[in-house]
Amino acid sequence: MDRPLEPLWRGLLVYRVLTLISVSVLALFRLDEYAAPAGALTVMAVMAVWTAVTAYGYLGGPPDRRGRLAVADLVVTTGVMATTPFVLTPAQLDAGIPGMGSIWTPGAALASAIAFGLRGGVAGALVISAALLLSKGRIGTAELGDVQLLVLAGLTIGFASTVLRRWAERVRLAVAAEAAAAERERLARSIHDGVLQVLSHVRRRGAELGGGAAELGVLAGEQEVALRTLLTGGSAAVDGAGRRDLAAALRALTSSQVTVSAPAHPLELPAATVDELVAVVRAALANTAAHVGPDAPAWVFVEEGDDTVEISVRDDGPGIPDGRLAEAEQQGRLGVARSMRGRVHDLGGTIDCDTGPGRGTEWIIRVPTAGVRT
Amino acid sequence: MIEQTPVTVMVVDDHPIWREGVARDLTERGCRVVATAPDADAAIRIAPAANPRVVLMDLNLGATSGVAAIAGILEKLPDTKVLVLSASGEHADVLDAVKAGASGYLVKSASAEELLDAVHRTADGFPVFTPGLAGLVLGEYRRLAGEPSHRDSPAVPALTERETEVLRLVAKGMTAKQIGERLVLSHRTVESHVQNTLRKLQLHNRSQLVRFAIEQGIAGAE
Repeated sequence: MDRPLEPLWRGLLVYRVLTLISVSVLALFRLDEYAAPAGALTVMAVMAVWTAVTAYGYLGGPPDRRGRLAVADLVVTTGVMATTPFVLTPAQLDAGIPGMGSIWTPGAALASAIAFGLRGGVAGALVISAALLLSKGRIGTAELGDVQLLVLAGLTIGFASTVLRRWAERVRLAVAAEAAAAERERLARSIHDGVLQVLSHVRRRGAELGGGAAELGVLAGEQEVALRTLLTGGSAAVDGAGRRDLAAALRALTSSQVTVSAPAHPLELPAATVDELVAVVRAALANTAAHVGPDAPAWVFVEEGDDTVEISVRDDGPGIPDGRLAEAEQQGRLGVARSMRGRVHDLGGTIDCDTGPGRGTEWIIRVPTAGVRT
Repeated sequence: MIEQTPVTVMVVDDHPIWREGVARDLTERGCRVVATAPDADAAIRIAPAANPRVVLMDLNLGATSGVAAIAGILEKLPDTKVLVLSASGEHADVLDAVKAGASGYLVKSASAEELLDAVHRTADGFPVFTPGLAGLVLGEYRRLAGEPSHRDSPAVPALTERETEVLRLVAKGMTAKQIGERLVLSHRTVESHVQNTLRKLQLHNRSQLVRFAIEQGIAGAE
C-alpha cells in the first residue's frame, strides 16, 4: 500500500531536482574559490547521479525497496557532506558559504520521513544535522537554524506520511469489509432462493399427495409467502428524508389470499402517509376476510397519477348491499366507515366503494401527492 | 386441455430439485420436456437443437441472467415462446424479461394446474398476464411517459384508453371473461388488448437497443 505516498515521493523528487540545479549553478559561479575545484565538480556529479538513482528508486522501483534506498540515501548524502572540509576553504566556511550539498541534503531526511513516518523523519533529520555540524566543524546561528528547519521538515513530512498510511489502511479495510458484505449478501440471496424453491416444491407436491402431506404443503406455502415478502419488502424502510416506498409497503401485505400489483419503481411518500394508507388497505382486506370469508382472494392494486396515488382493494365476494354502509354509520357502528374514511380524509383524499350484489366489492382510495412528493 | 401433439417444453432453472420437479409435473400432464438447462449459457446453446415450443425460464440463474438467456434464445428461435417463472418478486427483472420478449410471467407459488394452463396458453401464443405483471406494465408505461424524451428518440409507447382500462382490470384481479363482461368486449378482444401492451414495450425496447448500438458504432444502419 505505498500508493497513497506517491504524491509525497513525487514532491520529494521535485525538491531534489530543483535544489540540485540551484546548488550546481551557485557552485559553478564560485568554482575558483574552492580549495579543490575538481573535487567540487566530482561531488556534484555524484549528487546528480544519486538524484537520478533515487528518482528511479522512489518512483519507478519496487515499493518494498524504498526503505532500504532511503537508508542508502542518508549514507550517500552524509558522504557528500563529509567532503566539505576537503573541498571548501576555511575562509569560505567563515564567510557563511554552505557546506557541500547545501540545500540538496535535506532530501535524504525527507525520504526517510516518507519511508518510515514520523520517527524516520526525526531520525533522518538528526543524522543530516549531525553530518552538517561535523562537516562544517562549527556551531553558529546559521547552523542551529538549519538544524531547526531540518527537524521541523522531518516531523511534518513524517507526520503526513504516517497519517496517509493510516488513512490508506482504513480505506483498504473499508473496501474489504464492503466486499465481504456484498459476498455475504450474494450468498444469502442464493440460499434464500434455494429455500424458496424447496418450499414451493414441498407445497406443490404436498397438495398433490393429499392427507398429511397436504397439511405440510400448506405450512410450506405460508412460509414461502412470508419469506418472499420479507425478501422483497426490504426497500419499505424509511429513508433519510422520512419517506417510504408505498409499493413495497403494500407488497408486504401479500399472502396466499392477497395479490398485490404495483409498479416496479418505488412510489415514495412521507412515511406517515404510507402508514395511514397501509392501515386503510388492511382494514379493507379485513373487511373482505370478515364478510366474504377468510380464504377469499383479494387484490390490491396501486397506481400513480400525475399528482395522485390510487389504490384499489377488490374482492370477488357477493358485494355489500346498497345502503348497508350508510346504515351502519347511522347506527353508530362506525368500524369500516370511520377507520377508512376518516384516515383517507385526513390525508386530503377520497375513498369510494364500488359494490353491488354479485359483482364483488372494490374500494378505491385516491390521495393527492402534489406538494407531498417533490 | 387436449392437445393433438404434446407441447414441447424446455425448463431453465439453476435449482435441480425444482427443475426435475417441474419437468416431471409437466411430463405427467402430457407435455414433452425436450431439454433442461441450469444456466443462461447452456440454455442458449441447447435451445436451437431442442427447438422447444415453450421455454420455462427462471430469472435468477445463479451468476447468469435469465433476461440475457431470453434474448439469446429468441434471437435464434423467434417462434419459441418464453414463460417466466420467478421465485422471488424481482420486479425490475420481470419487466426486463417481458421487454426482452417473454410472453408472460408466473410466480413459482402457482399450482401445477395453473402452470400447465399457463404453458398451454403460452404455446397457443397468448400472453400469461397475472395481476402483478399488469401492475408492473402499467407502472412502466407511466414511467416512460414521465421521462424527458429526446428529439431523436423513437416515439415513447403509450397505451390507448381502452388498453389502460383493460390492464387496470387485470391488475385488479379480474379474469379475461369478467373484463369482457364489464367492458362489453369479447374474450378475444380483451386478450389482444393485453397482448398489444406487451408488444409495444418489446418493440420500444428493441428500437432503443438498435439506436444504442448505432450510437455506439457497434452496428451499421439497420
